[in-house]
Amino acid sequence: MSHSASHPAAGSPAGSSTARGIALGAGLLVLALVPLMVGASPYMLGLLISALILAGLALSWALLGNLGGMVSFGHAAFFGVGAYASALLAARLNVPVLLAIPIGGLFATLSSLAMLPALRLSGPYFALAILAYAQIFRILATELDWLTGGAAGLQRFPSLPTVFGLDLSERAGSYVLVLACVVLFALVYVVIRRSHVGTALRAIAESEDATRVVGVNATVLKTWMLLLSAFIAGVFGALNAHIIGFLEPDYAFSGIWSVMPIIAAVFGGYRTVLGPIVGAVVIYLFDQVVAKSLIPVGHQILLGIVLAVMVLVAPNGLSGLVARLFPRSEKHHAEA
Amino acid sequence: MTELVLQALFSGVLIGGVYALVALGLALAFGAMRIINLAHGELVLLAAYMAYLVESRTGLDPYFAIPLALIVVGVASWILFLLVDRIKDHRELNSLILTFAIGIILTNAILLLFASDVRTTSSAFLQDAVSFGDVYAMRGELIAFVLALVLMGVLWWWLKSSWYGRAVRAVSSNRGAAQLMGINPTRIETVSFLVAGALASFAGIALYTMSVVQPATGHALTVKAFIITVLAGVGSIPGVFLGAVLLGLTEALTVTFASSALQELAGMVLFLLVLFFMPNGLFGARARRG
Amino acid sequence: MVRKTLASATFALALAAGSAGAHAEDAPKTFTIGAHMPLTGTLARSGQAFDEGMQVAVKMCNAISPKYKVKVEVIDDESTPAKAVSAVEKLASSGAVAIIGGYGSNIVGPASDASDKLGKTYITAGAVSDELTARGLKTFFRINNNAGYERGIATLLTDLKPKSVSIIASTKEAPALLAAGLDKDLTAAGIKVTVHKFDPAITDFKPIINKIKLQDKPDIIMMSAYENDYVGIIRAAKVLKPNVKLIVGTWSLATPKMYTEFPDLMGNVVGTSFLPFPVEVKSEEGQTFAKLYKEMYKKDIEYLSTLSFVETMVLCDGIFRAAEAGTLESGGLSDEMRKTDRDSLLGRIQFDQTGDNPNFSLSMGQHRDGKIVLVSPKSAATGEIVYPGLPW
Repeated sequence: MSHSASHPAAGSPAGSSTARGIALGAGLLVLALVPLMVGASPYMLGLLISALILAGLALSWALLGNLGGMVSFGHAAFFGVGAYASALLAARLNVPVLLAIPIGGLFATLSSLAMLPALRLSGPYFALAILAYAQIFRILATELDWLTGGAAGLQRFPSLPTVFGLDLSERAGSYVLVLACVVLFALVYVVIRRSHVGTALRAIAESEDATRVVGVNATVLKTWMLLLSAFIAGVFGALNAHIIGFLEPDYAFSGIWSVMPIIAAVFGGYRTVLGPIVGAVVIYLFDQVVAKSLIPVGHQILLGIVLAVMVLVAPNGLSGLVARLFPRSEKHHAEA
Repeated sequence: MTELVLQALFSGVLIGGVYALVALGLALAFGAMRIINLAHGELVLLAAYMAYLVESRTGLDPYFAIPLALIVVGVASWILFLLVDRIKDHRELNSLILTFAIGIILTNAILLLFASDVRTTSSAFLQDAVSFGDVYAMRGELIAFVLALVLMGVLWWWLKSSWYGRAVRAVSSNRGAAQLMGINPTRIETVSFLVAGALASFAGIALYTMSVVQPATGHALTVKAFIITVLAGVGSIPGVFLGAVLLGLTEALTVTFASSALQELAGMVLFLLVLFFMPNGLFGARARRG
Repeated sequence: MVRKTLASATFALALAAGSAGAHAEDAPKTFTIGAHMPLTGTLARSGQAFDEGMQVAVKMCNAISPKYKVKVEVIDDESTPAKAVSAVEKLASSGAVAIIGGYGSNIVGPASDASDKLGKTYITAGAVSDELTARGLKTFFRINNNAGYERGIATLLTDLKPKSVSIIASTKEAPALLAAGLDKDLTAAGIKVTVHKFDPAITDFKPIINKIKLQDKPDIIMMSAYENDYVGIIRAAKVLKPNVKLIVGTWSLATPKMYTEFPDLMGNVVGTSFLPFPVEVKSEEGQTFAKLYKEMYKKDIEYLSTLSFVETMVLCDGIFRAAEAGTLESGGLSDEMRKTDRDSLLGRIQFDQTGDNPNFSLSMGQHRDGKIVLVSPKSAATGEIVYPGLPW
């Protein structure tokens, strides 16, 4: 499949940019291992773990937005279902934690099946339908207290185990695990984008009617993207639950998990694979380290300003900004 | 049982009136520009805090805050429009994110300026009970309800009869065609945003007189307003009112017949059902499917 | 590459912030107490009240101690467990000798776990779940618990011998827990109990009150909720005027602040309380607290501020004792804390093996024309309860 046919969407893969992307990804991965090598403090690693959880969630959100053409305002739904399913499986049925986490992801996928009717809805309607699901799940988690422990929440469920001598429940171990998951799903994303499915999906994003004529079944492909996005979000919800070791409905289905991935992905550039990941890490560290020290109370105001400026100045995020500041040598790849 | 149901119906209708007032501005801007203003709840909240400011500083009735709220919220709404208007690509998504960001900024600005305390009117007049036979209401609620009806009437008449109103409708149904007919869409959109801001001002003050506000309240208001817009369908003022009353009734009856813990759940389920099974909303004219 | 440079700059910055202040305790004999509180979001009100109490306590500790000083460093935990954990780790790495915990068991649970791993003593006044003490952490302490609230309220209610009680309970963690406990206690005492759970998002309480008025017909309405809910519930009750004899609530209700802000709603309402108002404190500590608080914040003492004041005083005592014994650096603070046995505005404070304060029990105070009269238990009462007594 040749990608050289130039595509107006920012950051679409093309010949030499593939190599750039791989180099960039590898560079970032090395960078990500630096904190381990220099022995960063638990505080620093803790921040990075939270940032990477967010990165995974942002990746899942961006996959749905970029490949599926769907904006979700309720990724908290999948995050929360994944978290609860995994924690309950590990606590009640003694499922090993590392197995419970992907099963938690599957439960999130299962929950996304309930959202299939929403696929027919356009833009903002889809976004808010998913938000409604997240609210409904939160209330259900509160009300079904025989299963979830209700408002009091779930406590004392197993934390991450030790594998090959690496204690995953320790900061460094958790960091490696979460990082590995982010890398894994980023690779999955890349593979899908480069496949026929990815091409078809991008075509759908351009014009759904046109592709229908050519015989691409848009709804089926979009369904797959929703299921996959839900799975990824669920896995990170489960990871987060076992790292934090405490769950309650208000937290597991908190609006934060719907809102922050959007901010992160838009900030980094949601049309690329690396954008949401870099965006999540930068924005989380900015908010927690810089903004918090400047304005102890109400520091999210800076987050709001950064996001607003970004949308206005660089709607394609950091990656778009980079592309604009450093135009590629090949003219036909320049931004339109 | 009859008494219980009657009171639930009455409370539901009253709260629905105020929901309608909150939703009206959002529905108007959405109808005119196809833009969901996710900072709308925060604009309403801003007006509520203006009411608090006036009442706590001067001891005057919160409704005296209307001029101040109109100015402050009007300016905020105008700035919001100027920013949204700068978006050129992917207007639908980017405007969602931009207005969402502005909502975050407003919430935190309110937190920084007014602290996090719970605020509501201290006027005994507004809090007094009024009864009609066996059903009761707070006077503030009745005033807010009447205010909502009047404003909706005015807005409906304005959209129907004035040149601006017709232009708003023309732009919202076909921007290009309206432009050809000599209507400046930007000007029309500015007007509709300003009107939305004015509606938010009244909504905020009404909210302050009959409910409690905190800096974190804004987001919930936006969501509620959007649900009502969906129930109503695009471009229908009476629809907004009926949608809001339907939501109010659903909530009140859920509390009466089931549990108050399920009230929000009922609202969300109603929202999804209408979204899935009545693609044009209950009263709207246009489809919303992709 | 801007992206890479940006990312690495942020890393460098963050790393610097993480390792900075490793030697902050160089300043002679000044100890840092770390604290994480919700300063934004729906619980911001509680966090700020907690903060005020801590600041007053610090001032008082320093005033009476010539040899050692303490200072508090507060971080906003945004009511998020991960951020609370980060806060604990940051505070520990910047040399805090102990941590004061925030609000809500879901926040305090993970945060105190992290604190335990770092060997730092952790004390809280905002997390009441029994699960927290069931963990058996050696570094965990708290001055209040669900059992105490339950006991305080149940004592009053059973003394009044109502036929039936309706409980209006928020589905948030602590109110739900309290409501469940009270349901059990009161039912066991032969009182008919109906619980109405509500989603914290709701603002119109008339349909619930009307159900209570027409179906339950209780003698007493009990609210297990938060400040904003109280206002909505009492307002709805004032409109519908159910034929009840008393309205009882819990935390943050029987306070001068509530009366100042909502005078029309508070008459005769009963809530958990430590002190009568105007403050009639016999202890010098309590008097100084009330006076200093008014000086610093231009208002009368608040419920949560009192709690955080007490926990901070207890912690200061422990720190000073451990510093005197020379065990502070070697992890002796938790042992010192366990030896605590002092009087306070909350009554006697001791800690059992799980770190809980078994003595915690509350008085109940009644709003009476801007005054708060302690009406229960009998041993603490400063006046007779007005019963029946309603805000309308």
